[in-house]
Amino acid sequence: MTIVRALGALPVGLMFASAVGAMPSSLGAQTDYFNTDRNRPVRIEDAHATERYALEVKLAPVRLERGDGGVYSWSIDPELAYGILPRTNLEVGLPLRFAEGDGAASGLEGAEISLFHNLNTETRTLPALAVRGDLSLPVGALGPDRVIPAVAGIVTRSFGFGRVHVNARYAFADRPESEPGDEPSAGHEDSRWLAGLAVDRPFPLNSVLLIAEVYADQPLPDGADLAWNAGGGFRYQVNPYLAVDAGLGRRLTGHPSWFITVGSALHLGVRRLIPGVR
Amino acid sequence: MMGDEKDLTGNWQPKRGDPVIKFVSGATIAACTALPVLLATPVPAHAQWSTVYEQTYLPASHNWEFRQRFAFADRLFNAFDYGHAILYETLLTRPQADADLLERRIFDHLTREVLINPPHVPLAEAAVMPQYAKLVPEAERMFDWAHVLHRQTYDVWADVRIPLEEKDARIAEILEYYKSRPDIAFSSRPKSMELMDGQYYSLAFRHEFPRFNGLIWGYHWLQVGLYEPLIAGQNPDERQSLAQATVARFWQLLQSPPESTPYLMPMTAAVAPLFTARYPEIAIIFDNLHMMHDVVSDILASPQVPRDRKRAEIMRAVDLFRDDSSYVTSVEEWRSMAVGMGIQNQGGAAVGFLAALPTPTVERGASMATMEHGPAASHADHQAPADASPTAGIPGAGGMEHEMRGAMETILQILEDPAVLEAIRSDPALLERWTDGEVQAHFESMREMLDGSAEPAPDVEPTAPAHQH
Repeated sequence: MTIVRALGALPVGLMFASAVGAMPSSLGAQTDYFNTDRNRPVRIEDAHATERYALEVKLAPVRLERGDGGVYSWSIDPELAYGILPRTNLEVGLPLRFAEGDGAASGLEGAEISLFHNLNTETRTLPALAVRGDLSLPVGALGPDRVIPAVAGIVTRSFGFGRVHVNARYAFADRPESEPGDEPSAGHEDSRWLAGLAVDRPFPLNSVLLIAEVYADQPLPDGADLAWNAGGGFRYQVNPYLAVDAGLGRRLTGHPSWFITVGSALHLGVRRLIPGVR
Repeated sequence: MMGDEKDLTGNWQPKRGDPVIKFVSGATIAACTALPVLLATPVPAHAQWSTVYEQTYLPASHNWEFRQRFAFADRLFNAFDYGHAILYETLLTRPQADADLLERRIFDHLTREVLINPPHVPLAEAAVMPQYAKLVPEAERMFDWAHVLHRQTYDVWADVRIPLEEKDARIAEILEYYKSRPDIAFSSRPKSMELMDGQYYSLAFRHEFPRFNGLIWGYHWLQVGLYEPLIAGQNPDERQSLAQATVARFWQLLQSPPESTPYLMPMTAAVAPLFTARYPEIAIIFDNLHMMHDVVSDILASPQVPRDRKRAEIMRAVDLFRDDSSYVTSVEEWRSMAVGMGIQNQGGAAVGFLAALPTPTVERGASMATMEHGPAASHADHQAPADASPTAGIPGAGGMEHEMRGAMETILQILEDPAVLEAIRSDPALLERWTDGEVQAHFESMREMLDGSAEPAPDVEPTAPAHQH
């Protein structure tokens, strides 16, 4: 059943695929595995923006979650990110969700638009700092009732062993009453606030990054308990323009659940998006 | 937002589960997670704020053609990036380490493991050299941007779909894109050797770490030398075989370091004369890039540069290599210098070479600034000490006999005749000799001398370097 519902995501997936196909085949050189993104494979991200003029296509980041009683839910979160300004990228995402069990539902979980700005490059005296503004738009069957804005701060610091990332996020949203049986989904943007830390370790000769995280988030519904989450995963650079990632994690409190994620990102260069280039 | 529970005095009383309490709890958790990271960051009075940023490749149909068709060389360049990065990180973070660390352990790791099994994709250099990247992110970006120029230039020449007559236009576009970032682009005006070898910290690296320095110069030799087989080859098969020969020659340079490695910094005009003749501006940029690599190594290795001055000195070099006025020399001087240093001292020709490595004629790691500004400053005297120099035996331009000058002009005129060039191209043996870097260097030297005694070309830069000390 879940698989059947998941097939419903095909139109959106194909839309993204055709968007990619319509672009020039030219590909930009990147070391994308080292620049982590939200939910690829963990929730905590680094403070680095997509390169200027680069277009990153996160074609099918898939997440499978197993909640209480063996209830499964799937989500697919295709996203486009474009380096619109120095150290700044614009992101557009269309998250889809398919849930089984009593609360079975499927559909678009809103549309997300984000602007990510890296304030500075990391130096000896200052970590890399970034801010992000998110808008979750009321689109789709599972989307929010109205626009939900959110802000986030990101810090990245490099050490000899690897890097440490700290994220904090706050959403300005109404608080629906919690219904019995409601299961907040780890990793989704349905939290009042979120704060956490991740540690990564690169293996540059193999273009592999291992990363682990722990974070706390307060689900939006009133009365919901604070949730602690832990996860880990890896990112791997397949070739200069394709990176893949996979991870697994667990919601430790509230409604404990397991989740696994698999994703990939294509790094593209599009001449038409570069001013002055014919 | 706030809960409506108040005490008898009218003050708000928080209770568990209140949104404000949750927010405060969240803020506390955020602070607790962020604090260790922030506290691990020493913040001196002058915090180092940098906003240098990354920019993607110029998208084009030739992207990654070199990687597809010349993987054996492309992967080596990934390894070279690692070699540079691990060098800087080690010099910066292990200043007290015995020279053996770089000269044996890391050198062996690079030559016996990394170069044998090089990375399959370009490296995230910040992952290899996190401390160096934090010290001078501006310099890191500058190197990276120039490496992008390198790779895209290879791509154009590796792409068999681009006709020869279109390649120059593609390269011009790449160069324009490169120069669109003046904050991280090297100047395309040639810099005097004084900038590299005439500073108070100069030569520190090559004297302390001769094997590693030879390895770096071997890297640079291949990075510019590999353009020659791509340009000299008349068809894809020939380009492949010539490129393989050039890579084989690179391995030969590493056979018995430091004796077998270049004795002087390989200059593009000497190692890649065909490329330089076609794209002088890019050749100059690559020489500036390689000079700055050496300058950074010297600054990091020199005990005369205190640790708290390392960044300042590297940033000074960043500025000097970006601007178009400091330490500038003329294009003629630059070409003359490259040839005069002796191709045999710079690793030898990249195509059409003999089986044995050329015999160097200078002391290994000698100061090139001395060669440039010593008694051998004139064009005619820009030669290595021994008689194996490309210009050996040829009188100076000032005292050149009339007959000798006439003979040289005649030879050059004959060689510029299209029919003669066609005949050379149709004869493999002749072509091999014609594309020999040393032969080309001799011709270049002859042109230099003739030009030196004639009126300067209109586009020639002023010969007096405008130094900024």
